[in-house]
Amino acid sequence: MSRRADDGPRTHPAGHVLPPREQPGYYRGFSTLAQQHAWDEHTREVVLGRVATVPPIRFFDDAAARFWTLVFDHLLPQSDRTSERRIPIVNVVDARLYEDRTPGYRFAEMPTDRDAYHLGHEAIDDEARTRYGADFGELEYEQRENVLAAIHDGEPRAAAAVWKQMSVHRFWQLIVGDAIDAYYAHPWAWDEIGFGGPAYPRAYTRLERGDPEPWEVREQRYAWSAPPGARSDETENVHAFSVESEQHRSHAKKAHDE
Amino acid sequence: MSNARHMLGSMQSIDAPMQRYAENDAIDYVIAGVGAAGGVLLQRLARAGFRVVGLEAGPFWDTERQWVSDEAGSHQLYWEDPRVTGGTDPLALGANNSGKGVGGGSVHWAAFTPRLHPSDFEVYTRDGVGVDWPLTYDELRPYYELLELEMPVSGPAYYPWGHPHGYPYGPHPMGGVGNALIRGCSALDIPVSIGGPVAILAGSHGDRPHCIYRGFCIQGCKVGAKASTLITHVPDAIDNGAEIRDRSMVFRVALGADGRVTGVHYFDEDGREHVQRAKAVIVCGYAIETPRLLLNSSCAGFESGLANSSGTLGRYLMAQAGNLILGRFDELVRMYKAPPAHALTEEFYETDPRNDFARGFAIQTVGPLPIAFGKQMMAAKKAWGWGLRREMMDYNHWAAFGLLGEILPWSDNRVTLSETDTDRFGLPVAHVAFNLHDNDRRLIKAGKEKTLEVMWAAGAREVVQEARYAHLVGGARMGNDPATSVVDKFGRTHDVPNLFVCDGSVLPTQGSANPGLTIQALAARTADYLISCGASIFTGDARDMTTPPVRTSLSPPATWGKGVPRLT
Repeated sequence: MSRRADDGPRTHPAGHVLPPREQPGYYRGFSTLAQQHAWDEHTREVVLGRVATVPPIRFFDDAAARFWTLVFDHLLPQSDRTSERRIPIVNVVDARLYEDRTPGYRFAEMPTDRDAYHLGHEAIDDEARTRYGADFGELEYEQRENVLAAIHDGEPRAAAAVWKQMSVHRFWQLIVGDAIDAYYAHPWAWDEIGFGGPAYPRAYTRLERGDPEPWEVREQRYAWSAPPGARSDETENVHAFSVESEQHRSHAKKAHDE
Repeated sequence: MSNARHMLGSMQSIDAPMQRYAENDAIDYVIAGVGAAGGVLLQRLARAGFRVVGLEAGPFWDTERQWVSDEAGSHQLYWEDPRVTGGTDPLALGANNSGKGVGGGSVHWAAFTPRLHPSDFEVYTRDGVGVDWPLTYDELRPYYELLELEMPVSGPAYYPWGHPHGYPYGPHPMGGVGNALIRGCSALDIPVSIGGPVAILAGSHGDRPHCIYRGFCIQGCKVGAKASTLITHVPDAIDNGAEIRDRSMVFRVALGADGRVTGVHYFDEDGREHVQRAKAVIVCGYAIETPRLLLNSSCAGFESGLANSSGTLGRYLMAQAGNLILGRFDELVRMYKAPPAHALTEEFYETDPRNDFARGFAIQTVGPLPIAFGKQMMAAKKAWGWGLRREMMDYNHWAAFGLLGEILPWSDNRVTLSETDTDRFGLPVAHVAFNLHDNDRRLIKAGKEKTLEVMWAAGAREVVQEARYAHLVGGARMGNDPATSVVDKFGRTHDVPNLFVCDGSVLPTQGSANPGLTIQALAARTADYLISCGASIFTGDARDMTTPPVRTSLSPPATWGKGVPRLT
């Protein structure tokens, strides 16, 4: 399978794994936090609080915290970030579960989010044992990628009892969604993708042609590759489905077709 | 409310002390839910001299102290109390379509304000699908015109679709997404509306400033430029003697032995139970909480839910198809700038006999911020891990269009009470079942494909899509026949003479227009009806079906003498 139909300007065939950097992405030198003087007071409080305070682990036990740390390292890898510039994920997810904050609904085919994390841990370990004879935490990097790719593709081989209690697709969306919620709420992630961040009361003024504000920077692209053995640097481009309930089927179908 | 000056937007404040009514004082009207409809009703009834209290489950926002320019920090604006969502095509709820706090959904809407088309009021007569409304476009039209001035709405001077009309405030400048929509539509000879209609101020208005294009519309407009009833109607309601009791969750409408309601039971913030007596009750809880409240109010004579003799309470719930089409461009877009809502086309809105489905769709601009965009990449490209990081690094190259497609009202799409899940008060939560039918599927497929075509025509190098839904209406529909509807054309329940419903749940069909303007227009119309009926609502069972005169004297200050002349 080709990774994508149209690579455009994004990758270079000779792209290589770059050493960790303080700020990945194509907006070198851009810092939303450096603009905090132009934010309103309450926004500043909330965003700076997020940067300064990593919530303690209270929902997961030690084993679960280790397990989910490892899983989130695959769902939203950060090995291209220097260690002091990595964005906390598992602690933020733990805080949500501890405080029982939900998006305001539970799919009828899903247990509560708390139970989904417990059941998901069980299912991923079971998948790891079925494929490689050891718990997820004992596996090599590439084996862990393969285990998670099976869940991503909607084709787990193990833990049938767990998957009777919850949809593989909805579970996948839950955990990847939680990772996105944590990572892209952080101003370092905004810097990485060139998002201007809070703009009240100062305003955005250059609305057209993607022009930067005087305090934003221009894009400076470079080629990069995921680490060897990574399964996740593949994306699909599927238009065949039209409705949400069919959306998760495309991947399974693709796997069968291949 | 704290002692500090209560700010609504950056310039507006509430300075005067609010009226306080005693719970055993039988006030005229108690309104359950101060959202898009409740805010307008409260303001109208207070101006007309009624003694009125609005009970709101969420907070009475001080926007300067409580709102942020931040996606992750804005969850308090959404109804995130538990619900269960099921059926063959379950709807995402919460931030997607449900507000909490004074202003309700009008706080986090994108503020697109297209009107329904005249055809929307008679889809059964024209196409043999859905149901006709018990009123016509012409009966609602004066209220569209009134609310477009009260919000007010920015948009083009000539809007060609439905009943052609113009907008009182000038159109907004284009952002990158609007430019892409214009490019794509123009390449395909599709007319496009530029710069609105959207209830966001293109210039300052009264004590509200103009838009600063910060892009956080659906996180609540901290600027005060985007209309919400919190800033357009609630301040005037309070000035005219209305009371709002926030963090007050109505859980039961009380029915007296004479078949008339006597008030409502509610929980305060600390879970203490209260009763507010009133001569009449108006439920304004929107498409899920309104049916839930009435179902939870079942009692002798109404065992399957208050005002549910028809069995239609909770049924005919509708969402619109909201497929999101994303296009990646070689050039930068930076779609976080400008309001998400700033250009659209309704060229495919009406039934086209060449199609294999009835009714149609609109295509609109959308401007997802990073977290929303990340989840779209997860759904549309199955992105995770390194692939997700890579796609996200291209955030500034993407533009997003939203399909807005009409889904018809179906009896099996409904709100019931969950048999398993309860909320923090111990009340059964809403179970929402949603199922697409054949016409819906065909319409969504065609709408998705047309939107993809427009995105390609705009010059995108790659186009992907996430299937999803937008908005909610129905669940307590209005109609002339008490056997097939919950309320009459003024929002009065067929079963209980002093119980009304006024919110999106009364819509019999929904068209392909964002529902916010229609909901507020209906609320202003219901208010005129209540004012015309006067005290007879409180005492008699007579059901006067005379259309009331349109009262332009009840608009909030700064409504009149502004804007530009309309071309109609």
